[in-house]
Amino acid sequence: MGMSENENDGNIRHFNRQPVRKAEFIMPPNTLKAKVGSGGLAEEILSKAELLLEKNTADFLPLADMYLNSLQKGMDQARDTDTSALDESGNESVIAAMLYPAMQLKANGGMFRYPMVTRIADRLIQFLEVIHKADLDALEIVMAFHATIRAVVLGRIMGDGGRQGADLIAALDDACHRYFERNPNMKTGIEHHYVDSL
Amino acid sequence: MTYQFQKITVLIVEDNQPMLDITRALLNVFGVGQVIGAAHGDAGYKKFCEYNPDLVIADWMMKPMDGISFTRLVRNDAASPNPYVPIILMTGFSEKRRVLQARDAGVTEFLAKPFSARDLYKRLVQVIERPRQFVRSPDFFGPDRRRRRATSDFTGPFRRENDTQAGMSLIQPLMEQDIRNREAESHAILDKLRRQAGLGKGDKIDIRPEDIDWV
Repeated sequence: MGMSENENDGNIRHFNRQPVRKAEFIMPPNTLKAKVGSGGLAEEILSKAELLLEKNTADFLPLADMYLNSLQKGMDQARDTDTSALDESGNESVIAAMLYPAMQLKANGGMFRYPMVTRIADRLIQFLEVIHKADLDALEIVMAFHATIRAVVLGRIMGDGGRQGADLIAALDDACHRYFERNPNMKTGIEHHYVDSL
Repeated sequence: MTYQFQKITVLIVEDNQPMLDITRALLNVFGVGQVIGAAHGDAGYKKFCEYNPDLVIADWMMKPMDGISFTRLVRNDAASPNPYVPIILMTGFSEKRRVLQARDAGVTEFLAKPFSARDLYKRLVQVIERPRQFVRSPDFFGPDRRRRRATSDFTGPFRRENDTQAGMSLIQPLMEQDIRNREAESHAILDKLRRQAGLGKGDKIDIRPEDIDWV
């Protein structure tokens, strides 16, 4: 039987006893609602705001460069580390050094009219989230993602990349699938997006 | 009658200046009266204590203090002018375990980056129309973590006194759009699976329970 939600690394919460101090529920006054009132925003304001995002002229290149360099550093660190000698938390740190810049690329690409960067970085995150250690095979995959994102940014490919973009992403997907076929002990699966479901 | 956003102050805590500028510009278009910016959690908390804003929008990954530590300070520090303030956390992460980690720190809502103007608006509507009750227990203080999704076919009584018909009428179209997006996404995934398996549109996909990674 798997660990229940109340167990944490063998530490049983409250020693399986009911907590004696109950939770207190508080409904604070809704001051925000009191200030803004009702009625929402007019559709034209929302359209104007969407247009503002579409016309955003901020240059993504310096940001992308910063995050790509950070990802490169994470890759270098992983390459220089004997990951097989690390414990779980050590491996987590090595992976996190690549995961965080990948997350920033995903988060910012789409905001600055590079949706393809977001899509590719999202795939990279999906990959990094399910590997246990950044061995050389895994690093090769990360390098491929890094090179592809750099190419998209330097090529100033701002749309979805069309057919070529889809092919690139499919190729990266295939590389990840092949990695997991070669490393069947690594956990695989689709991590669904949960933000909106909470 | 529309929202009178000019009456509120919003604090944005974001270390990425272009991102802060975009978020500020969107709030300005929405008509927000005062938008304060801070480059990281530490500076953000100082501004929070100084301005006591009506709403906070914070990024997760920042140095030296990230959005999670900032949220904990706002919720638990004795000097906090308003531990109940709604906090919307912006993040590129959307994996369940990371979302749960942030939720446990006391975040009110999440805004996954990249986001559209409507995504941001939707979160604002949520915190205005459906505020969470707070929970104080020996090991947690923050918004109740158990909000459940209201469905469009829900015909029973409202779950909270403040679930007004007017509020629900604002949220419902956004949720229905969400559902339509999810359906389209699911169909795209199924089509891809079919293509990969060499199956036609009408062919049944034989998925065994062990093929699915339940999260």
